[in-house]
Amino acid sequence: MDRSDRTSGMDRRRFLKVATAAAAGVAFAGVNPLSALSADKQAAAKQAAAAQAPLVFVVTRGGTPYKNYAAALKALGGISKFVTRGDVVVVKPNIGWDRTPAQAATTDPTLVAAVVGSCYQAGAKKVKVFDYPCNDPRRTYVRSGIAEAAKNAGAEVSFMDERKYKRVDMKGTVLKTWPVYSEALDCDRIINVPIAKQHGSSRLTMSLKNWMGVIGDPRGRLHQDFDHSLADLGHFFKPSLTVLDATRILTANGPQGGDTKDVRTLNTLVVGTDQVAIDSYGTSFFGMKGTQLGYLVQAAREGVGQVDLSKVRYSVIDVA
Amino acid sequence: MANVRRISQVVFILIFLFLLVQTQYQGRDEIGYPVRLFLDLDPLFVGLLLLSTFSLKPILLLSLITVVVSLVLGRFFCGWFCPFGTLHNAARELVRRPRKLEHGLYARAQVWKYAVLVAVVVSGLFSMSVLGVMDPLSLTVRSISLGIGPSLELIVRNAFDGLYVHAPAWVTAVSEPVYGVLKDYVLAFSQPHFLQGAFLGLIFVGLLALNVTKSRFWCRYVCPLGALLAVLSKPAALRLGTTGQCDRCGKCVRSCPTGASPALGDGWRKAECIYCWNCVEACPTRALSFGFARPQSKDGRIDLSRRNFVWSLGAGLAAVPLMRIAPSLMRPNPRLIRPPGARPEEEFLKRCVKCSECMRVCITNGLQPTLMEAGVEGMWSPMLVPRIGYCEYSCTLCEQVCPTGAIERLDLATKRKTVIGLAFIDKNRCLPHAMSVNCAVCQEQCPTPKKAIVFKETKARDANGSEFTLLLPYVVTELCIGCGICENKCPVVDQPAIYVTNLNESRSPSRALLLAPKSTS
Repeated sequence: MDRSDRTSGMDRRRFLKVATAAAAGVAFAGVNPLSALSADKQAAAKQAAAAQAPLVFVVTRGGTPYKNYAAALKALGGISKFVTRGDVVVVKPNIGWDRTPAQAATTDPTLVAAVVGSCYQAGAKKVKVFDYPCNDPRRTYVRSGIAEAAKNAGAEVSFMDERKYKRVDMKGTVLKTWPVYSEALDCDRIINVPIAKQHGSSRLTMSLKNWMGVIGDPRGRLHQDFDHSLADLGHFFKPSLTVLDATRILTANGPQGGDTKDVRTLNTLVVGTDQVAIDSYGTSFFGMKGTQLGYLVQAAREGVGQVDLSKVRYSVIDVA
Repeated sequence: MANVRRISQVVFILIFLFLLVQTQYQGRDEIGYPVRLFLDLDPLFVGLLLLSTFSLKPILLLSLITVVVSLVLGRFFCGWFCPFGTLHNAARELVRRPRKLEHGLYARAQVWKYAVLVAVVVSGLFSMSVLGVMDPLSLTVRSISLGIGPSLELIVRNAFDGLYVHAPAWVTAVSEPVYGVLKDYVLAFSQPHFLQGAFLGLIFVGLLALNVTKSRFWCRYVCPLGALLAVLSKPAALRLGTTGQCDRCGKCVRSCPTGASPALGDGWRKAECIYCWNCVEACPTRALSFGFARPQSKDGRIDLSRRNFVWSLGAGLAAVPLMRIAPSLMRPNPRLIRPPGARPEEEFLKRCVKCSECMRVCITNGLQPTLMEAGVEGMWSPMLVPRIGYCEYSCTLCEQVCPTGAIERLDLATKRKTVIGLAFIDKNRCLPHAMSVNCAVCQEQCPTPKKAIVFKETKARDANGSEFTLLLPYVVTELCIGCGICENKCPVVDQPAIYVTNLNESRSPSRALLLAPKSTS
C-alpha cells in the first residue's frame, strides 16, 4: 500500500489552509525565514499562526437543530465556503434503523432538511439524500422522518440501487477494493450528517462510521477491525462539511436503541471540516476522550485528522 | 351480453391483480387497500371457519354476497368474477382448439367436484388444510404470489437491468423512467424469492394447461367452490329457455365451456352453467335466452350418487388422521418458526388456508411456504426462514392480511414482545468464540430496546501474539424474541454462527426453556 500517495492527496481547501498557515508563518518569522530564530520567537509565531488559522469546527448548542446549524455556518464563514454554485451535493444522514427521531437512532430530520436547504441557498444544482440502512429501507426512510423532511427541502431522496455500486480501490490498510455507491463518488460535494450514538463494538458511532452507509456488502466484515477500517473510510471519503448531530444522543443499547430512557437531549451540533476532530469532540458527550477510541487514534495516526483537540482551533457557541 | 361478461371478467381480474400488487408495504404501517378482498368473498372460508372453530370473522361475512348472488342468479361468480376462471378463459383462447360437440354436453365425471367438495367440507371440520390446497382463490393467490409473479418480475428486472448495463444512453433515457414507474407502482421493492416457487408455478400452469383437453377443466371436474355454488344455485331463478325455433344445430353446445348441455343431451343443467352467455350468442336462430322463471327441479340436478357421497365423506374423514400421523405436532421441527400472532400450532393449522398473503406481504421476504416442516397438514403454510429474511421489529403486515385469523392481529406493543423463537450461538463457528476475531454484528442488529445479545469482554492474542480486547457475544434468553435478524446478518454466510429455532415461542407455553425467567423490566 502506498501511504505517501494518500497523504499527498490534497484538495483545494486543504491547500489553501496549509498555504495560509505557511504564509502567516513566513510573515511572522520575518523577512528571511531561513535566518536563525530564537525558540521564543518561534513559539510566539506558532501561537499567532494558530490564532489566525480557520476554525476547524464549531460547537453550537441550546437552539433547535435549524438554529444551531445556522449559527455554526455563520461562525464558519457561511455555506458558500463549502458548497459552490452548480454543485451536485450528497447529504448523507444516518437512516440506518426503523426508529423514530425521538429514539435517537437516526439523524434528526429537521437537521437534514436544514443542511439540504443550505446547499440550495449556496446555489447547488441538486442535493441527493440516501443511505444503505440495516432495517428495511422503506421503513427506515419513513419512520426516521428523513425522507419526508429532505424531500420537502427539495432534495432528491432515493433508495440504494444495487446496480449503482462500483468496485473501487479504496487504497486502505484493510479496505482494498470494495463496492462503493457511485452517487457518493460522482458528486461535487458530500456532506456527512451523522448522529452520535453508543455502539457495542466500536463504543461510539459518529462521523467516520457513518460512511458505512455508502459502501456495499459485505460491510459487516468491517466489525472485525474497526480501528483500521474506519480510518480507511476516513481516508477515502473527503466531506466538504461534517455536521455531527447531538440534538439527541443515544447512550446505551446502540446503535439501534429503542428505549427513550437511553436518550439524552443535548440540542447540540458539531459542525466543521475535520472529521476526526469532530468525532473526538463528540466523545465528550459520553464522558470520554477521543484518544479512548481506537479508530480515532488510528485515523489521526494516518493523518485523516486531528484527535488531539488542544491542537485544533474550535469554538463553542451558545445559541439563544 | 357475452361481451358484458368479458368486460366484467377483465375488470375483476385487474382488480385482483391490483390488490395483489398492493399486498406489500406501501409506506405506512397499515395496509391501505382491502387486499384480501377476493379471499373474503369465499364462502367456503367463512363456512368452515364457523364449523371448525365456532368463530366468525365479521369481514368474512362479505362472502354472504357470493352466497346471495348464487342463490338468486346461480354460478355467476364462476363466469363473471372468479380470477382463476378468467385465466381459464384466457388459457383456452391461447389454445384455440375447435370445440367438440361432446365437450359441451354434461359428462358423468363432472360429478367429481362434488366429491371434492364433500371431502373438503368434512376434513374442514377439523382442519382447513385440504380446503387451502383446493380452494381456487387460495390457489390463485398462492400460485401468482409465490411462483408466477416472482418469475415474471425476474424477467422484467433482468430486461431493464440488461438495458441499463448494455444499451446506449438514448435507450436507457427511455427505459429507466419506465422501469422507475414499474418499480414504484407494480414491482415488489426487491426481487422476491420463494422456496417451491417453481413447483407452485408449475402446478398452476399445469392446471391451466388442462384447458387443452377440455375448456375449464378445473371448473368442470375439480373446483370445490364451484361445486358449493352449484349446490347453492338450486333455488336460483335465472334459467335458460329454449323456443321452438331451435333446429338442434348444436352450436350452443359447442360454445359451452363447462358442459352444461344448453339445448341438447338431457337438457340444460343449472348446476354446471356459469352464465357466460356464449350459447345465447352462438344460436343462429335466436332460440335461446336467459330469463327469470320459477326454478325447475330438473335444472338443478346434481348426480352425486349416495355411494359416491359416502366415499367422499370417508375420504375427507380419513384425510385428517392421515395428515396428523406425522410427529410434527408432538415434536415440532425446530426450524418451524411461525410469524408473531400465529395461534398455537393445532389451532393455527385449523385455520390456515395457505393463501400465502402473509408471505407475499412480508417486508423482508422471510416468510416462506413450508414443505414438510409442519407435516402434510401444514404444507405451504408460512414459516420464517431467517437466512432469507428476518421478522421486522415494528412490522405487523402479515397479521393484517391473514383472511382466517390463523395469524391474529396484535397491537404493535404486543407484537414486539411476542416470542417466535430463540437465538443460539454456534460457538464453533462464531468469529469471536471460535477464532478470537471481533465481530459483533448480531449484537448491533438486535432490535430489542434492551439488547438480547450482550458482550463478555475478554483478552485475546492475535496472529502476531499481541493482546487485544475480544468481545464475546451471548444471548439473553429472557430478552430474545427470535426475530432472526442476527441470523440474517451474521457474516458467517454459509451456515450462520447464530441461528434461531422455535424453542421458547410464546404461543406454546409447554416449550418454554427456562424454569424461572428473570424479570427484565
